[in-house]
Amino acid sequence: MHGGRVRRFHFARDVEEALSLLAAYGSRGAVLAGGVDLLRSPRGDVEGLVDITRIGLSSVRETGGGVAIGATTTLSGVLESQAGHDYAGGILPEVLRAVASLPLRNMATLGGAVVSAHPWADIPTALVALGAEVRWQGEREGRSLVEELYRTPFRGLFRSAVVTEVRFPPWNGAFAYEKVGRTRYDIALLNACCGVGVEDGRIAWARVAVGARPTRGERLPWAEEALVGRVPGEPLWNEVRRLVEERIEVGEDRRASGEWRRTVAGVLVARAVARAARKASA
Amino acid sequence: MAVETRQRVAVGRSVTKVDGPSLVAGKPVFTLDLDLPGALVGKILPSPHAHAAIVSVDTSEAEAVPGVRAVLHHGNVPRVPYTTAGQGWPEPSPYDTVLFDRKVRFVGDRVAAVAAETEEAAEEALAKIRVEYDVLPAVLSPEDAQADGAPVIHDEPDAEGIYDAQHNIAAAVDIPVGNVARALAEADVAVEATCEIPYSQHAAIEPHCVLAYFDEAGRLVLRTSTQVPFHVRRIVARVVGLDPARIRVIKPRIGGGFGSKQEIVLEPVAALLALRTGRPVRMAYTRQEVFVASRTRHPMRVNVKLGAREDGVLQAIDMEVLSNTGAYGAHALTVLSNVGSKTLPLYNKAPHLRFHGKAVYTNLPVAGAYRGYGATQGYFALEVAMDVLAEKLGIDPVELRRRNHIRVGETSPIFEKIGEGREGTAQIIRSCALGECLRIGADRIGWKENRGRRREDGPWVHGLGMACAMQGSGITGVDMAAATLVMQDDGSFRLLVGATDLGTGSDTILAQIAAEELGVPVDRVLVYSSDTDFTPFDTGAYASSTTYVSGNAVLRAAQEVHRQILAVAAEALEERAADLELTAGAVQSRKTGKRLSLSEIGHRATYVTDQRQIAATASFACPESPPPFAAFFCEVAVDRETGVVRVERFVVAADCGTAIHPQAAEGQLEGAILQGIGHALYEEMLFANSGRCVNAGFFDYKLPSSLDAPQIEAILVPSEEPTGPWGAKSISEIGINGPLPAISNAIHDAMGVRLTQAPFTPERVLLSRRAAGK
Repeated sequence: MHGGRVRRFHFARDVEEALSLLAAYGSRGAVLAGGVDLLRSPRGDVEGLVDITRIGLSSVRETGGGVAIGATTTLSGVLESQAGHDYAGGILPEVLRAVASLPLRNMATLGGAVVSAHPWADIPTALVALGAEVRWQGEREGRSLVEELYRTPFRGLFRSAVVTEVRFPPWNGAFAYEKVGRTRYDIALLNACCGVGVEDGRIAWARVAVGARPTRGERLPWAEEALVGRVPGEPLWNEVRRLVEERIEVGEDRRASGEWRRTVAGVLVARAVARAARKASA
Repeated sequence: MAVETRQRVAVGRSVTKVDGPSLVAGKPVFTLDLDLPGALVGKILPSPHAHAAIVSVDTSEAEAVPGVRAVLHHGNVPRVPYTTAGQGWPEPSPYDTVLFDRKVRFVGDRVAAVAAETEEAAEEALAKIRVEYDVLPAVLSPEDAQADGAPVIHDEPDAEGIYDAQHNIAAAVDIPVGNVARALAEADVAVEATCEIPYSQHAAIEPHCVLAYFDEAGRLVLRTSTQVPFHVRRIVARVVGLDPARIRVIKPRIGGGFGSKQEIVLEPVAALLALRTGRPVRMAYTRQEVFVASRTRHPMRVNVKLGAREDGVLQAIDMEVLSNTGAYGAHALTVLSNVGSKTLPLYNKAPHLRFHGKAVYTNLPVAGAYRGYGATQGYFALEVAMDVLAEKLGIDPVELRRRNHIRVGETSPIFEKIGEGREGTAQIIRSCALGECLRIGADRIGWKENRGRRREDGPWVHGLGMACAMQGSGITGVDMAAATLVMQDDGSFRLLVGATDLGTGSDTILAQIAAEELGVPVDRVLVYSSDTDFTPFDTGAYASSTTYVSGNAVLRAAQEVHRQILAVAAEALEERAADLELTAGAVQSRKTGKRLSLSEIGHRATYVTDQRQIAATASFACPESPPPFAAFFCEVAVDRETGVVRVERFVVAADCGTAIHPQAAEGQLEGAILQGIGHALYEEMLFANSGRCVNAGFFDYKLPSSLDAPQIEAILVPSEEPTGPWGAKSISEIGINGPLPAISNAIHDAMGVRLTQAPFTPERVLLSRRAAGK
């Protein structure tokens, strides 16, 4: 692979400079954070790369039970941080260790994962399940729940805006993540991120998201409703499994059929919910 | 030749690989590490169509791109039908390929080539070549290829050696022994298995690449990543129209080949571009091109029918093959032949045999040599069928193999009936430790304790499976290797071999074979290999030949040098040569104890008395091909709810005769097992309806990674092959034959379902289970 038509490489000193450089290049400019997607799918039309890794967006902070992660924090950076490690019963390490390989986790950034939002990716499913909020700086500052952002034509937004931070809210409970890939370094054939809170022996709240089906991860509100108020245990997990298998919308691609995804979606949700409940109860 | 039993000093030791330090230190040892000033970049224009006639090619715009120095296409290169398969002469693959044809036969086929000052200019030029195609109906499966009225893929009149071009059959075989149909009908028990392997890629780390340039004498030098330098020279000379004496081929270190570099794909194009421009030309496939335009394993469907007595002794084996050779017939006949020739002799108790099949053309990528070379496909079906038979008879699968496998002193009619594109050579098995391999492997995996127990661990169900295999050591009547061994004036040695180390460690092993004979440490033997100007002939690194064939040539040369050393020493010491022995870097008299070091002998022969060069060239043609044997055992865990299969443990016990370098031999086994696990669980090239490969890259074509690797226990079970150098046979290919059937059989042990279509993806496992109602 060669460098395409890239003529200039800029280290932006702050967000404003990054935005001004992006504006100057128009469609011929691109933000470089981890660079994973630029390497995987080189864009032949890019003339100017704007590196945003030196503008102070690499940080992980605990925020009253939640966690705020700077956009250029690498996945390895999150994994190595105490705040990232402790959040919501350790869900972030669980998800991030399932992403690609260590060398790629050393490159890939959380902000990059939000923006690239590949349907087969692990992180978007978790962001949706966890109720993560993304913040950005463009002409104006902006913020949105990732779940809502993904319902909009968001890709255009980030041609002239830079993600600055991802905020994860506090949860009184725990989450778990399940994934089936072909190999350990593979993208997901299917994934599920689920969380529950258990109070007085019953499920107080539930979050259920399934991704790579083969569309991007989305929540299953009807599955969440079916869990709330119920007593955790095998009968419930089996019921949820059957429910998901019955109602989930899945498709097929070259990696897996809809039939397999339908069956396994129920399995993964049941497993993730069960593990989350065990963690929450502990 | 006799196998000595004295204490060995070099053989059987895991010495430092002769190329290890330079590789570890990152020295510039690979093909494209040589940076020649003024080198042009060569690139190839691939066909966007699976099957099309080229109506016209307009290169005017491409030639006008600044920096473009040459554009090749069918209109301006000689038309010479040839085969890209780098095999010995006479070449058994059909001459169905020309450098640039008026027709394209798969998506990725060569349409044109460009040499330019930069990669960007070359790519711009490729984009500006205007090609008008007349798109033809495409044949995208072996079944379609055989259908009535199927498009004829090779309708060119000048192709040679195609079995039946009108019906898209590149090669066909039908070898009957006895009356298999009657024997199957009369057998106490008959079973059947049909197994399928898809397109898969060798995925060597280094892509195919070549540097073509002219030396100071105006000779064409091809520095290339190849397994067959001498075949490259012969074939390029013919295709390009050069006197072979004007071509030198150098093989530097290679980043893997696994058979894919037994093909001559880039070299003639680079040679022609260099000839047209007078400039050095470097070419390298991108990873996508490696997938599509180099070579793949032959996808196959293999059906095996077994007939047996109630005691499990086989009476009949019928093996039928449908092989997909893709758009061209590289290795079509020989890979097809090896499906039977490398498998059927293993169970030589069956008196009635039939091996029959076809290799058909399709408009898909070209298949070629791939480690295992047909045996991998054959063993998948044969060993699954053996498992089915064991189940039906209620006989332990290990015991069933014991009752049927070939032993020392025995033969099989298949050895004589099936060779490499012609009849084979009768041979008797002179070494076989398969019985020991079965015993040791079964003990190590805990076969008796754990097989059939279906241990459950949450959703994971554990099962055990096993398989056996043999391979060969070179090609009888075809392979020949030569070696030149020179003693230098300081008493050290230079070993010149045409043999091709493709990362296997053969340079080291050949040095060990010589050092053992000469009684010196391995580092006293400097190895120079694979340079057609400076090293003697060798057919190349394929067919598990190097240790046995090249090793025997080295041993013969070393024995002659040994004799010459004793003669010089005898004269100097005034003793009879018969009273002298060569050991520990010196010649010593058993009679008087007088001693002369090798450096003194080298010095005397070079400078002092009766001056002469102590040296010898010897060659070895392969009269027989002693098979290595192996028993494979594995434990898998199957997630009954998702269909995910994990290989938990893999045990392989292999008989390669004497392991010259045990660690390298174990490494060959471990690598082959992991590659076989890839075949079993992950690897499959997928195609769109247009014939385009949709997963030509590692993002979506998955290889087992280190995290997916189970605990692999490679056990070398020694035997002494009397015809092998220091008792050695081959080890490089056999390991890949076991994982497919062993894993399939283990899944059956765990889940009660037979997986016969590779890879065993979660979906295939889950849906098979559902279909079986389990």
